[in-house]
Amino acid sequence: MKKTAYYFLLFGIITCSTTIAQDSTASKVDEIKGEVEGIKESYLETKSTVDALKKIKISGYIQTQFQSAESDGAASFSGGNFSTGMHNRFMVRRGRIKFTYDNSISNLVLQLDATEKGLGLKDAYVYFTEPWLQTFKLKAGVFDRPFGFEISYSSSNRESPERSRLFQTLFPGERDLGASFEITPQDGLLSFINFKGGMFAGNGVNPEVDNQKDFIGRLGFQFPFYDENFAIDGGISTFFGKVKRAAGKNIYLVNSSIFPHTISTDNSADRNYLGLDLQVYYSIPVLGGFTLRSEYISGKQVGSSSSSSTSPTGLFTGDLYQRNFMGYYFMYVQNLGEFNQLVLKYDQYDPNTDVEGDQIGWNTDAKLGTGDVKYSTFGIGLVHYWNDNIKFLFYYDSVTNETSKYLAGFTEDIKDNVFTMRIQYKF
Amino acid sequence: MKKIIAVVILLIATLGFYLQSNVITVKGSDTLVILAQRWAEKYMQSHAGITIQVTGGGSGVGIAALINGTTDIANSSRPMKPSEREKLKQRYNSLGVEVKVAKDGLSVYLNEKNSLKELSLEQIKDIYTGKIKNWKEVGGKDSKVIVYGRENSSGTYVFFKDNVLFGADFLASMQSLPGTAAVVNAVIKDENAIGFGGAAYAKGIKYVAVKKDNKSKAYEPTEENIKNNNYPISRFLYLYLRNRPTGELKNYIDWILSKEGQELVSKVGYFPVR
Repeated sequence: MKKTAYYFLLFGIITCSTTIAQDSTASKVDEIKGEVEGIKESYLETKSTVDALKKIKISGYIQTQFQSAESDGAASFSGGNFSTGMHNRFMVRRGRIKFTYDNSISNLVLQLDATEKGLGLKDAYVYFTEPWLQTFKLKAGVFDRPFGFEISYSSSNRESPERSRLFQTLFPGERDLGASFEITPQDGLLSFINFKGGMFAGNGVNPEVDNQKDFIGRLGFQFPFYDENFAIDGGISTFFGKVKRAAGKNIYLVNSSIFPHTISTDNSADRNYLGLDLQVYYSIPVLGGFTLRSEYISGKQVGSSSSSSTSPTGLFTGDLYQRNFMGYYFMYVQNLGEFNQLVLKYDQYDPNTDVEGDQIGWNTDAKLGTGDVKYSTFGIGLVHYWNDNIKFLFYYDSVTNETSKYLAGFTEDIKDNVFTMRIQYKF
Repeated sequence: MKKIIAVVILLIATLGFYLQSNVITVKGSDTLVILAQRWAEKYMQSHAGITIQVTGGGSGVGIAALINGTTDIANSSRPMKPSEREKLKQRYNSLGVEVKVAKDGLSVYLNEKNSLKELSLEQIKDIYTGKIKNWKEVGGKDSKVIVYGRENSSGTYVFFKDNVLFGADFLASMQSLPGTAAVVNAVIKDENAIGFGGAAYAKGIKYVAVKKDNKSKAYEPTEENIKNNNYPISRFLYLYLRNRPTGELKNYIDWILSKEGQELVSKVGYFPVR
């Protein structure tokens, strides 16, 4: 009897212990499940925060260079004129930082340029893509003018240190204030063409000073032949603009060497360009890919007596000179293996196609001067990509100017060739 | 002065061009990584002096490495995007070279205990976009659907998004896993799970037969169905190169497309292109 009672007691203890153990395991599992759910919730919360932060993108690059010119104080389009008495210099050519808020169909971009010369605005625009076809886009603010190829080709990717003299003269700073419309079909036959065009203040990144608006636009095409590793891209661009005449000042139509030139009585002078651009890409077996790029622009340009550039920070206060101009460039970039590129470039800019040589300056009353001198530049360079971030550039610009025995300082070729050594870090 | 500088620049360029290596680096698609490793092992056995280094990471990672010059070959389970071609064009003046090396049926995995046998593309889309949340909505048992997928650097992720979701976003609660093998393991452990990935990894779990639409017949991702395009989610697997291959790189690509290389494709579980 005692024995039976003992077994009952033992059985009871074991059963209770098992039940308690099972209860304990079940409660542990519930606890872990709860913790996992908590972690999952926390993960989803973190993910939504990370997804939001991923929309903010920061990129940039710094270009530091050493340059040597042929003569002290050389005037140059390779990063600006050398100071009086100097023929070599270190400089931070570009120090860009770009902030993008990328919300898929709408973007905000702000880009600044910080160098030893100070801080400047490069880009500040909003970019909106309609969500249905994702073909039509609207852009407004300060951004690259939609003209030709070289303007929109980033300075961090460009294989020559600077844009051609042609573009630096016609489009100083590359940017303008305005709004543009873009059509970039995503599918079908039309996906090979694109259009960008809009209205701009015509005053670069400076505040607008008049009611005149410029139309700038480009109709482009892209034909890739993937099987042949060959591509041909190009476009036709136009610029229709006006530059306002100041009260009491003249507009000279400088189309001959005889003075007085025809004087226009209009309130503004014409600034009209027509441009053609073409880029060819092909991969040569063994050697690597190459590109041949070319652009041609001609039209009417407005400037002062000494300069062909239109880059006022305010209204033009002097007489306006309207010239017929022409310019072009050819650029050949050959990849040599994975890390090197050989660069050859030739550009020419003739600010006044109606006069040449000794006609410039022969009659002081004709007011034909430095703003009418034609330049051509031959450049040769080597780009070496150290890694994804760093690249080195060695480049020599040989500049030849038109000469006139009547124009002081231009009776012979000016010693203004420039050698550039540059290091770029991009992230 | 001009001549000296020109000569120095040409000399440096020429020297840089001739410094080449006998190491071939391969990076990219996790779907392709096992096949790429088998190719590399087999090729190195018969080609002493050639080293082939293979790593995964996803198609996007491989293509990014191709663009920044840190790999010779990018493995990809999706075609290169126009924006990626554009980056290659900018940096190398080349559109890149595409080599189709295998065909794959992108499989939808279910746990073996799941009674469902077929799903339409629309139903799969609705599951992966969160519109369908319970298996009973597609004829299964009354249980919550647990959705597994890949990370967005994966070519499989992009292909699935483009060809099954037709561009729609994956549901936010999808558990993104690093590699198709991880998706398979997750589905094996969870009877309410669904996942997707290459056929080569789908061992120990069940494929669902897929219907193009509700009126179509459902097909499993078998060799025959994939080869004759009956299975609606089939795709090519690619190698991408910066330029036309030369030297050892060309020999290696030619070997991959040879009978010997394509035999390995079948052994790993994909379908040869030649």
